[in-house]
Amino acid sequence: MATIVDIATEKALEVKNFEFTYAGADEPNIKKLTMPIAKHSITALIGPSGCGKTTLLRSFNRMHDLYPGNKYGGEILFKDRNILGSKEDLIKLRTQIGMIFQKPTAFPMSIFDNVAYGLRLQGLKNKTELQDRVEKALQDAAIWQEAKDRLRHDANGLSGGQQQRLCIARAIAVEPEVLLFDEPTSALDPISTAGIEELVVELRKRVSIIIVTHNMQQAARVSDYTGFMYLGELVELGRTEELFVTPKEKLTEEYITGKFG
Amino acid sequence: MSAIIDKIFANATKFIAIGVLLLVAWIFTVLFEHSLESIEAFGFSFLTETKWAPNLEKFGALPAIYGSVVSTFLAMILAVPLAIGVAIFLSEIAHSKIKTPVGVSIELLAAIPSVIYGMWGLFYFVPIIRDIFGGIGISMLTAGIVLSIMILPFMAAVTRDAMNTTPDILKESAYALGGTKWDVVKDIIIPYAKAGIIGSFILALGRAIGETMAVTFVMGNVHKISADLTQPATSIPVTLANEFAEADSGLYYSSLFELSLLLLVISFTIISIAKFYFLRRKRIGQ
Repeated sequence: MATIVDIATEKALEVKNFEFTYAGADEPNIKKLTMPIAKHSITALIGPSGCGKTTLLRSFNRMHDLYPGNKYGGEILFKDRNILGSKEDLIKLRTQIGMIFQKPTAFPMSIFDNVAYGLRLQGLKNKTELQDRVEKALQDAAIWQEAKDRLRHDANGLSGGQQQRLCIARAIAVEPEVLLFDEPTSALDPISTAGIEELVVELRKRVSIIIVTHNMQQAARVSDYTGFMYLGELVELGRTEELFVTPKEKLTEEYITGKFG
Repeated sequence: MSAIIDKIFANATKFIAIGVLLLVAWIFTVLFEHSLESIEAFGFSFLTETKWAPNLEKFGALPAIYGSVVSTFLAMILAVPLAIGVAIFLSEIAHSKIKTPVGVSIELLAAIPSVIYGMWGLFYFVPIIRDIFGGIGISMLTAGIVLSIMILPFMAAVTRDAMNTTPDILKESAYALGGTKWDVVKDIIIPYAKAGIIGSFILALGRAIGETMAVTFVMGNVHKISADLTQPATSIPVTLANEFAEADSGLYYSSLFELSLLLLVISFTIISIAKFYFLRRKRIGQ
């Protein structure tokens, strides 16, 4: 069984005996996984390729439902309800649990419209309120200074790092409670990466964050808790400073010291 | 030695490529040369004259131009929404088990020779139009409908391909903000694929305006401009297909050539516009 540290604070999400099977697969990709996610903290998921960390991340906002035939098992509790239920309102769920992707995904529209997109989907039409919330989101995502003079310009004119911050602005504009980051800096240069990491740490005050990363240093730099996954199972979840210095599981130690991976 | 072979090869391909350009120029020259008599006789009024009377040696292209434009316009109005609907269904909504067979059959429909659409239109569609709208059934409306059915598969297939170029991660980003399927199609996929979609429409337009066999059967070749769509009419290619065999005078013959020159110029313009859109899309993709 996995070694799981006690989470001192409240929990944002609770994964219980979670299983996930991709369409057409015989074996579940994630097996009987149990894991608490702390509120207003950053939880990093690390592990070798194919360990299921991205699969787990994409289960929190039911992204897998976009493709037919995928099967969930067990429970993921969010606000005391199991979000894996067939009656779950996915539209609402996804406004409460936002996501940032591996590559910047600016929509083919202006910077302003990108950030306003989620708000407009929720039916917000009032111009001044839209303006205020877009400005606030851009400020919170630390891109207001660069973007304020070209809000009406095509968002694809921004650099990669700026686009990724724009995507973060777009996600926080709808004020989600949880933000999922799927290797958000894998397509960025070191300077943009540092900017995004700083921003992630800053955002922790308002949202609970789960970040999947291939980069152990990144997990060590930004996160409060780190979960190490291997072959579809959680091996260890610990406080980041403890997990990287004194891992409880042998497998974790071998992975973070680079014996495999 | 190998350098020489390379040079010969390079020059041979260059020669062939230039040959294609020369061929187009040649066609254009021949058409122009044969049109000269008519151009000299009628000048610009060829384009504005509504009378086409071979027995009086009077030739005006306006009814044929009008017929080409109106039948193509009708075809586009009918086909565009359907093509978009089919494309959206195939790229976003259909289950993968349906996607492939339906997609392939639509591509097969695009390969049906146009003469078959014409025959089918004449024997099965003309009576239906006659029963519903009156008239003799051979009409502008029938031609527009048959044309729309003919260009629909091509438009749907190319539009679907354009929509399929939208990266999954972009669509997922919109879903992740709480978008519905309709939101994603309308706000992400269509804007992203816009250039390709418009390009496919224009290519289909080019095909419709030059289409001969499918409409020759159902249009009637009557050189009259009528606002009543249930009346028989004509178009440039329909006139050409029907009348070359009976062109007995030099001026008649030359006027038909001028019509074909006109058609060539129109088609060229349309294809150039389509290419412009496709090129633009490529530049964005890089």
